[in-house]
Amino acid sequence: MFCYQCEQTSRADGVLGCASAVGNCGKDAQTSDLQDLLIHAVKGIAQYARRARDLGAGSNDAGRFILYAMFTTLTNVNFNPARFTSMLVEAAEIRAAVKKAYEDAAAAQGVAVEELSGPAVWDIPAATNELLAQAEMASVRAGEAEVGEDIVGLRALILYGAKGVCAYAYHALMLDEQSDEVYAALENTMDFLASDPTDVDALVGQALALGHTNLTVMGMLDAGNTGKFGTPEPSAARISPVAGKAILVSGHDMADLAALLEQTEGTGINVYTHGEMLPAHSYPELKKYAHLAGNYGGAWQDQQTEFANFPGPILMTSNCIIEPAASYRRRIFTAGPVGWPGLRHIENHDFSTLIQAANAMPGFAADSEEETITVGFGRDAVLGVADVVIDAVKAGAIKHFFLVGGCDGAASGRNYYSDLVDQTPKDSVILTLGCAKYRFNKKDHGDIGGIPRLLDMGQCNDSYSAIQVAVALSKAFECEVNELPLSLFVSWFEQKAAAVLLTLLALNIKGITLGPTLPAFITPPVLNTLVEAFDIKANTTPEADLAAALAAN
Amino acid sequence: MSQTYSICLNTQDGKEISFDCTADENLIDAAARANITLPAVCHEGNCGACHGHCRSGDYEQKSHSSGALSKQDEEHGGILMCRTHPRGNMVVEVTSDLSHITSGPVPEPVCEVLAVDDMGGQVRRLLLKVLPDESGVVHSEFEPGQFMELEIPGTDVRRAYSISNAPNWSGELEFMIRLQPHGKFSTWLTDVARVGDRLNTKGPEGSFLLHQAGIAPRRFVAGGTGVAPMLSMLRQMAEFQEPHESHLYFGLTSEADLFAIEEIEELKSSLPNLTAEVCIWKPAGDWQGFTGSPVDAFKRDLQADLAKGIQPDVYLCGPPGLIDAAEAVADELGLPYSSLFSERFLPG
Repeated sequence: MFCYQCEQTSRADGVLGCASAVGNCGKDAQTSDLQDLLIHAVKGIAQYARRARDLGAGSNDAGRFILYAMFTTLTNVNFNPARFTSMLVEAAEIRAAVKKAYEDAAAAQGVAVEELSGPAVWDIPAATNELLAQAEMASVRAGEAEVGEDIVGLRALILYGAKGVCAYAYHALMLDEQSDEVYAALENTMDFLASDPTDVDALVGQALALGHTNLTVMGMLDAGNTGKFGTPEPSAARISPVAGKAILVSGHDMADLAALLEQTEGTGINVYTHGEMLPAHSYPELKKYAHLAGNYGGAWQDQQTEFANFPGPILMTSNCIIEPAASYRRRIFTAGPVGWPGLRHIENHDFSTLIQAANAMPGFAADSEEETITVGFGRDAVLGVADVVIDAVKAGAIKHFFLVGGCDGAASGRNYYSDLVDQTPKDSVILTLGCAKYRFNKKDHGDIGGIPRLLDMGQCNDSYSAIQVAVALSKAFECEVNELPLSLFVSWFEQKAAAVLLTLLALNIKGITLGPTLPAFITPPVLNTLVEAFDIKANTTPEADLAAALAAN
Repeated sequence: MSQTYSICLNTQDGKEISFDCTADENLIDAAARANITLPAVCHEGNCGACHGHCRSGDYEQKSHSSGALSKQDEEHGGILMCRTHPRGNMVVEVTSDLSHITSGPVPEPVCEVLAVDDMGGQVRRLLLKVLPDESGVVHSEFEPGQFMELEIPGTDVRRAYSISNAPNWSGELEFMIRLQPHGKFSTWLTDVARVGDRLNTKGPEGSFLLHQAGIAPRRFVAGGTGVAPMLSMLRQMAEFQEPHESHLYFGLTSEADLFAIEEIEELKSSLPNLTAEVCIWKPAGDWQGFTGSPVDAFKRDLQADLAKGIQPDVYLCGPPGLIDAAEAVADELGLPYSSLFSERFLPG
């Protein structure tokens, strides 16, 4: 096992990456190796799929498998090795199908069939012990001795970014949004990686192209969410429970939540959001359900305590799951790409067992005193008051915008973000998204002329909304986005954040402050490249970084 | 005041849990004092549910049944935690994952009889439904492989039986109970029990559980109603569509003892990677299947597995003789002890 894809990867004694029996996320070596092998198989699918698509014989079935398979390998998504052995069997079948499609199309068009190598021709063994014996070949560090850690790190940046793009595209797919263009771009990316690229410019170019693809994908996800559930609007989300049977929904998948709300309507069971499901309270077609009772708990890393205390079953729809404690492991259910050995997995939105569990469990005995927070400042809400905002900027009432968003995590250094927000001047506005906000979103930050200083724009993928706001402001002020009094503080944890970062870089957004630590796979020379091109910075202290941001005004 | 020692339990999944234990208490009681519920049933060294292995430290093993802990096992550090008193700090290996070691008391739900059916082979299928407690909570959570203690109504006589259905939230618990001549529970079951009767129960308990994180092929070696917890495991595997290549060795003495064959066939149709064979020890008639003990059949296949570099996870349930024989086979052929998961059926 070797894995350095997330922020919490081992950095003990200066050695980067998790390489022991169990990674810092709880993923065991066997599962990690099977994930690497699945990625290898996906590259093989992409090699044929890209060529088939070039000949007009593309397969969105293969594309959908790529999204799902890649998503299962994100940090804190799927820890069940048995699911990976099954997916490898499926991968072999899909690869055979796209290979045939490619060869048939080539024959029909009189085009010579390329003789492919690498993952395309990997003989995927059926026996697990034989599979695992080949894991080293599929390791993210394969070839490092020949090409060096900088090249391997750049390949990793693309692979991890692609995982994030696939995760967002899978969320969009669950809302019936998909696109040939995105499937083609992802096949192209994985085919590129299958060629073991070594050219730095080509690698950087591919990473930025992937960033553009992610912008398209986040746009699709935005269209899926707003198309199905309406435009987010500023809304009060209750954060204290009410009496009654209860189900908690965590993860990111709004389609799962919508189906569950429909199935629980009229049953007397209340549904609560957890973590990144919080923005649900701002969508008209979700908040219309009276039994969407509130938000419970905080960010993902506190789940072992929060889930243990929740008096009902829990549905985990995507990342981030961590090892279920004994007290709730029989009542936590997984859906979509998520998996943990021994947990019940729900397919096709059939929540009947989950509902049975809610009825068997005690629920909340009494109402707690009502407490709320305001969510739902998506781009429409913010741009709806654009005139007020622009006037406030011109009048000097708003001097600076901060975007403080991304993932939360357990590392103590993440207090940086709450300290930073606490110290922002009163004449600044803070846009936030992702689960990092749980460190500061329950505090009153005041308002500027009736506009709340803290504007919660939604999930991490609502970076799309933030980008639209930034672009609109730059148009209003007739300047470039980089010339706006706007500072971006991005807190990363896993691969969705890597995809968002690539999008920001692809849009040439400069001066991003990235933390709490830089990715382990970004080597010093690669970092220098990013600093030179994009002025990317690592967190130092909130005081110093804040001063630097304001000085740039 | 007696000396206090530190007890460190190493769980199957490589985690640790520690508690203090004085020299004059046993490990199970000391753990309970620390709000840690370790697997245990009889608390008298008879059932084997609290089996573990001492990896370091001194202790005194009090009297116990040799069926629950054999002399040979004891010589290799095997202990029954309910009969183990520390004489120094101890490190003990247990076969549970940390997530299966619960805290707090074991639930004691009241159940209602939904059905009592004759399965053949002197085995009755008892189907219970867990009733809601006074606050409307249905304590129906269990893991496949676990058991419940069932109390004969109107008495304080309890017997432990493995649950044979898959975990569910409807509160249904199924048991496969072999009738014992003049047995108290057997007599109640055949002569008294009626649909709608209520009985006190305690559970779920036990640490004979699926090694969920493993992807090794699974071998299930069952003697008689030792097949019940394995059916629970296999039924959950079928519901979860787990891909593990699995084989069930179901041992019975004679054809007259046959039961649960239909259930096994049903499982085979929903679990494509499951094969099963009934092993008759002493066939009376023209038995066409395997003749011999399930351990004989297991030994035949284990040799082939190991020759191919496959180390299966092996689940053993039945009388102590069967478990000891299977463990001896594993030892002889070189399958590590950590690949074995067992539960001994002992007279209650």
